[in-house]
Amino acid sequence: MLEVKDLEAKIASTGQPILKGVNLTVRNGEVHAIMGKNGSGKSTLSKVLVGHPDYEVTGGTAVFKGKNLFEMEPEERSHAGLFLSFQTPIEVPGVSNVDFLRMACNARRKSLGQSELDPLEFYAYIMPKLEMLNMDPTFLNRNVNEGFSGGEKKRNEILQLAVLEADMAILDEIDSGLDIDALRDVAKAVNQLKSEETGVLMVTHYKRLLDYIKPDFVHIMQSGEIVKTGDMGLVDQLEAGGYSTLEQTHDE
Amino acid sequence: MQTSIGGIARSHIVGQRITPNSSIAHVRLTHKPCKSAAVASAVQTTPEDKWLARTVKEVATPPSLAALRQQSNSAIATLRMPSTRNEEYRFTDITPLLRTNVEPAPAHAEVPASLLARHTLPGAAVVAVVVDGALRPELSSGLGPQAGGAYVGPLEGAPAALQAKLGSLSSSRGGPFAVLNGSMAPGALAVAVPQGVALPGPVYVLHVSSGSSSADSATLAAPRVLLHAGPGAEAELVEEYVGVGAPSADNGSASAPAAGRAVTVSVSELFLEEDSRVKHSYVQRESAGSFHFKGTLVSQGARSAYTVVESSTGADIARHDLSILQDGPETSTEMSHFLLCGPSQLHDLHSRLTLDHPRGTANQLHKCIVSHSSGKGVFDGNVKVNRAAQQSDAGQLSRNLLLVPLATVNVKPNLQAGGIVADDVKCTHGCAVSDLRDDELFYFRARGISAESARQALVFSFGSEVVQRMRHPALQQRVQEDVSRTLRSVDQFAAAAAAAAQ
Repeated sequence: MLEVKDLEAKIASTGQPILKGVNLTVRNGEVHAIMGKNGSGKSTLSKVLVGHPDYEVTGGTAVFKGKNLFEMEPEERSHAGLFLSFQTPIEVPGVSNVDFLRMACNARRKSLGQSELDPLEFYAYIMPKLEMLNMDPTFLNRNVNEGFSGGEKKRNEILQLAVLEADMAILDEIDSGLDIDALRDVAKAVNQLKSEETGVLMVTHYKRLLDYIKPDFVHIMQSGEIVKTGDMGLVDQLEAGGYSTLEQTHDE
Repeated sequence: MQTSIGGIARSHIVGQRITPNSSIAHVRLTHKPCKSAAVASAVQTTPEDKWLARTVKEVATPPSLAALRQQSNSAIATLRMPSTRNEEYRFTDITPLLRTNVEPAPAHAEVPASLLARHTLPGAAVVAVVVDGALRPELSSGLGPQAGGAYVGPLEGAPAALQAKLGSLSSSRGGPFAVLNGSMAPGALAVAVPQGVALPGPVYVLHVSSGSSSADSATLAAPRVLLHAGPGAEAELVEEYVGVGAPSADNGSASAPAAGRAVTVSVSELFLEEDSRVKHSYVQRESAGSFHFKGTLVSQGARSAYTVVESSTGADIARHDLSILQDGPETSTEMSHFLLCGPSQLHDLHSRLTLDHPRGTANQLHKCIVSHSSGKGVFDGNVKVNRAAQQSDAGQLSRNLLLVPLATVNVKPNLQAGGIVADDVKCTHGCAVSDLRDDELFYFRARGISAESARQALVFSFGSEVVQRMRHPALQQRVQEDVSRTLRSVDQFAAAAAAAAQ
């Protein structure tokens, strides 16, 4: 599904290199987790993959469903089925959530050659997804993320994932700022959305999330590189001894 | 962009076509009423200013306006209409007005029933229809005494104490157009809410300009509102200004001036006693080719809260002079403004807010779109935090969108904290003259929405952030229709506007 090779990237404005050769392969049906300290490049990797303008790719490749990601505009990547749940979703005052979701939904449908949904059809389409996320329908009439709590913003991101029916979901710290109930709702929704045909890449600091969404692979990122790959056992090792124990393992 | 400035925040000038505060000669305007007997007797003399001499006509004066009329007439004798050499009008050239033949509106002009039917405000406790400056009881509903001893109606019926307040703010802080209003206002609408009383719904004042029947002249209207909220009282005032003529930026208005042009010179004075709360919405949607000058003067007692939300989309030249004084501690002021300048439209907001007492709060959001090369936005927003205003919190943000080359804004948000110890006052202000926010655009694109569609959605909803604060969907819809009509004249948005109108 997604194959990243020797990916290097820098901050566009300052030229500071962040990613220094990342290698990662996600196949259909797999769930991957990336862990690492703050500043290790986890969030940069997710943003670079969806084409965030703050970063510039300086080397390597990323192939998504057989296509070169870096030759595609951000909206084309979304149409192809790639989705990023933002760590801190921005507020868009003046634009209602339902209009935003319908625009996004119809943009994807159009790119797939499907007919666009009118407002009524869209309500019918989105209601079950709201239920799945335990979200109040009044949510739709509010402005995009405006005045949302941290938990509401994260639920709204997953709602967008559900609406877009993306094949590959990158979840950047979807668990931060969530209480246990919200985390359970969000995790439940992600588990329902994933299938043998989809891929999930989670960026997180905490094991807590991984107890709800079980990863097949766990990667440790450090200074812009993936330094270690394993399974849940790696997470337990991390919980026990912190990142320093892994560094030693890596050095050996 | 929002910068935090502790302590002394000097006036900060950002924008286009702004020359720094140079020491150019200021032509000071005299609009203080002259009390000398010699000039007071000159009521009948012709004003020195040629345009005023042509424009000012004898108007019947109800007793409640007698003092104001006398004061204004004496001031107008020596008043000169401002030019761009006046600092206050530096970017606002009113020459087109001064070249216009202005005539008094015919008495009791007919208002199309369809216009009245289109302009409603669900939930309004009182609907006051003011045509060419004159209150028309037969078109209004709910006027007169209200529950709890409140009153909404002609000033004659208001408590004497309120009658005495007429002109007390405008004569000291109003500009030249406030003086003109004082000379020409046929009456005043009073809103009096006694201590502890809350009006059950908004007072909706629909100001209608009938406009001239010929294309080479315009009719004058001088409406006047006087509001008093007693201690702990609550009131909501909604003022909407519309014309009988064609709306601004309508197809065809760009070619030749059409009939239906009007000059509106409006003054509203609002007195908020301690602990009172007043919400004020002001919607300017006058006809194409019209001129609109509005003075809003507010005095706020201790712990009172005043919220004003403004939307200006109509007229050719529109100017709002907003002057607010926090006259007691722990007072809160919220100002939001949305101005849209389409073809040949100049929209100007001059706001003055003075914090004079401890623990006041103030917030101002100004958003302006200039969608045409012949459009122009002007903003001079002064927030003055005086020495006595310890522990105040003031914020100001101006965002300006220039959609086409040569579109102009002259913005001067300025937040002044005079001589205050650094850690006592929190002042933030910011100003952006540019494009849409990159992070907003990217958020749309990451969800598969093309940059083009994202831009359109963000521009169309740019003003919604402000207009939504009125919390009246009917008003919001009318403003949005104006926005769509105006943006349709921008090539890049023509298709989207057509789609949105469906």
